[in-house]
Amino acid sequence: MTDAAVTMDFHPRPGPGPAKPWAFPVPERGALASGLAVLRSHRPGQQVVAVEISLGVPLDAEPHGLDGIAAIMVDGLSQGTATYTAEEFTAELERCGATLGAHADYLGARVSLEVPASRLPRALGLLAEALHAPTFPAGEIERLVSNRLDEIPIELANPGRRAAKQLAQELFPASTRLSRPRRGTEETVARIDAAEVRAFYQAHVHPTAAAAVVAGDLTGIDLDAVLADTLGGWTGDGPQPPPPAPVAAGGEGRVVIVDRPGAVQTQLLIGRVGPDRHDPVWPALVLGTYCLGGTLTSRLDRVLREEKGYTYGVRASQQVLQSPALPAAGASVLAISGSVDTASTGPALADLWTVLRTLAAEGLTETERDTAVQNLVGVAPLRYEQAASVADTLADQVEQHLPDDYQAQLYARLAETGVAAATAAVVAAFPADGLATILVGDASEIGAPVQALGIGEVKVVKG
Amino acid sequence: MDFFLHPTEGTRTPVGHTATDQAGSGGLTATEHRLGNGLRLVLSEDHLTPVVAVCLWYDVGSRYEVKGRTGLAHLFEHLMFQGSAQVKGNGHFELVQGAGGSLNGTTSFERTNYFETMPAHQLELALWLEADRMGSLLAALDQESLDNQRAVVKNERRQSYDNVPYGTAFERIAALVYPDGHPYHHTPIGSMADLDAATLDDARAFFRANYAPNNAVLAVVGDIDPQQTIAWAERYFGSIPPFDGKVPPRDGALPDIIGQELRQEIEEEVPARALMEGYRLPRDGTPECDAAELATVVLGHGLSSRLYNRLVRRDRTAISADFGLLRLTGAPSLGWLDVKAAGGAGLGEIGAAVDEELARLGAEAPTAEEMERAQALLERDWLDRLSTVIGRANELCRYTMLFGDPRLAFTAVDRISAVTGEQVRAVAAARLRPDNRAVLAYEPVTPGDRAAGAAGGPAGTDGGDGQQEDGQRKGAGQ
Repeated sequence: MTDAAVTMDFHPRPGPGPAKPWAFPVPERGALASGLAVLRSHRPGQQVVAVEISLGVPLDAEPHGLDGIAAIMVDGLSQGTATYTAEEFTAELERCGATLGAHADYLGARVSLEVPASRLPRALGLLAEALHAPTFPAGEIERLVSNRLDEIPIELANPGRRAAKQLAQELFPASTRLSRPRRGTEETVARIDAAEVRAFYQAHVHPTAAAAVVAGDLTGIDLDAVLADTLGGWTGDGPQPPPPAPVAAGGEGRVVIVDRPGAVQTQLLIGRVGPDRHDPVWPALVLGTYCLGGTLTSRLDRVLREEKGYTYGVRASQQVLQSPALPAAGASVLAISGSVDTASTGPALADLWTVLRTLAAEGLTETERDTAVQNLVGVAPLRYEQAASVADTLADQVEQHLPDDYQAQLYARLAETGVAAATAAVVAAFPADGLATILVGDASEIGAPVQALGIGEVKVVKG
Repeated sequence: MDFFLHPTEGTRTPVGHTATDQAGSGGLTATEHRLGNGLRLVLSEDHLTPVVAVCLWYDVGSRYEVKGRTGLAHLFEHLMFQGSAQVKGNGHFELVQGAGGSLNGTTSFERTNYFETMPAHQLELALWLEADRMGSLLAALDQESLDNQRAVVKNERRQSYDNVPYGTAFERIAALVYPDGHPYHHTPIGSMADLDAATLDDARAFFRANYAPNNAVLAVVGDIDPQQTIAWAERYFGSIPPFDGKVPPRDGALPDIIGQELRQEIEEEVPARALMEGYRLPRDGTPECDAAELATVVLGHGLSSRLYNRLVRRDRTAISADFGLLRLTGAPSLGWLDVKAAGGAGLGEIGAAVDEELARLGAEAPTAEEMERAQALLERDWLDRLSTVIGRANELCRYTMLFGDPRLAFTAVDRISAVTGEQVRAVAAARLRPDNRAVLAYEPVTPGDRAAGAAGGPAGTDGGDGQQEDGQRKGAGQ
């Protein structure tokens, strides 16, 4: 049956034309009189301007027993101000075509504004008001708390979210904030009220600990004047957040099955504690991790998806959780994640471990390394097409105490990283006998086959 | 890796932004060309960043499928990544990613698309790859890749629909809003049984009938030399023969109004009560469809919509309320309301409040402030869509294939801005009514006590690499 296939003229595969230079933008740095650091990046053509406010409030700052208060506090910034009620404030923002996001993470809390450039001044005025004059009305905070309590079970019903919660518990000591969910548990969130939120805001939110990143097409905008008129009104002072304590990595191989009777798939999350971006191994780790599980032609999916069909896709990745200015206390989670059909769970894990052992024994090939470098470096201009992605990475750099040219330099460092370094980094990151494996699935179906693999002691917990 | 996250077909549809009165983007333009074999080519230059998007729409989606072979269009989309005459195995992925590009494909009711975003100097490679599979896929297609991708797609179905709470809601809604036998009654993911039944001959026949140059639109957007791009398109695609025997899809015409409320009480292991409602709305390409979209935004998009303010902020009976619109051209569009209940609230009181708000909009036009807000949010959606080369390429393909003119992509905001409050009221009165909807009422049950339900598939689906469409607009911020 090749009849219809060969009636076209074939041509040899074309090579590339001359490459055009592109570099990740290094921002222009300044500060307002209030002490607020400002990073700006002009992105021609990007009419939706992104503003990231990094508040410099890590989750470590949350009072004992009130996990989740940072998230409620940043959400609460838009729930009533000196001038507007919650409804009015949001309606004003949306009439600008703006969206306002808020997020509290281990590294710090963040408020993100995106707005068409023509309405930037108006939206920045609203953002400034939320930052310097929030009222945290008791009724609104009570609603945020109650909504959050309703959301927690919805999130945990998702097998991926449930697995992430379990992995944090496995990797970090119970005494650390890192072992517990970013937005708290039902127990801790239920204790949060408006008075606590106001106190938390007053203690931690001030411009001297914060930074503003503005990215987008700034043509025709007098940004200094606009910032002075808006965020310039946010003043105050307070302590800088203390650096986090170091986290121990390592541990024996172990397996936790989160039991979901009747589940048609098993969610896998296999991880370990790793370094942060200050560690010189980082470029090699990024490269090696891509070769292991960055895409469907990486080692894991080549077997698990494209040869066996066990999964829609398995990925390996790294996520930084703490990154103080001084080295040695940095931490990330290095993880392999995906889902496989229930019946294939044992065979899929067996194959996955074979991939890890083969990698450790034989290393990566030059071709794999070259392809990975070409992809990771080559996609940069595409990855950073939109202003929001530039602003997000710049704010990450600030939160992680990295130099402003970190990302720009990273591409050069990736290109210089050899196959031996990439192999060493990924093999150290995913040692076959030192991984915590979380399986969200039907324990009665997968328990025995997983036990037989010998990848660690198996514990079953309720779903 | 970086997944391509731009909303595509099936997510909130366009809206426009005036491409003519540029700001920083320099004014968007597009030119249209046609090769001798019928392939339509749309070009749009943008030299601000050295990147280029190649997007190919084939005029085939799940509406072309027949009973017993649901899911074939999407399964086939996966097979398009399994090699062709000059591209071995996963070579398509390897070559694009190795060139610093990214790629994917998606399938919806009405079309299948494939795209590559590349550094500008790798454009020719992307064109060569797309042409090779358009012209010679059958040289490489074999039973082994069919069986493998069938297993992958079944796992996609499990992961995205069967193993997540409310995962089958979309296929249930579609099955109610579009009656049995209608081409949109089933969704692109298809059923497990039909996926199992698909044969190599089915796939071959599907390819011959649909994957021809005269059934496709190719858009190339970004840092390009138009003359060179046309020459490459001619060189690589020009000799692929057209196919003249295409069978049109079954007629998707339906009455404007369903005529009664179709309701399913669903007892499942979901974490919270939920109310979902699907409405038959005007077809894409009409002023009524633009008005209907504004109605859904006034009612349920963003965090200060009428339903959000009512249910989440005031009544506190819900934790979220989202009203999305899936624009369709071959059948009535689908409006989809999704409300997740707050702790103790019952679906009865939520439903009654929803009905009050729908009736109020049908009786009284939105205020000027509400119209300003809705139009600003839709303009913003459109600006987001146009902010990437692939977003632009996808819209150009859409308007070329569905409406015959790519430049309509650049005037969509004008059309949205022209809608009046009275038009919004009128469409709400005519369509957002209890006798024009399908309702899913989710009631949580504890494990082991699960009720059986209908089966089906999702809105649109992924591609070779895991992208999906969710049939609804993305939430706004916060």
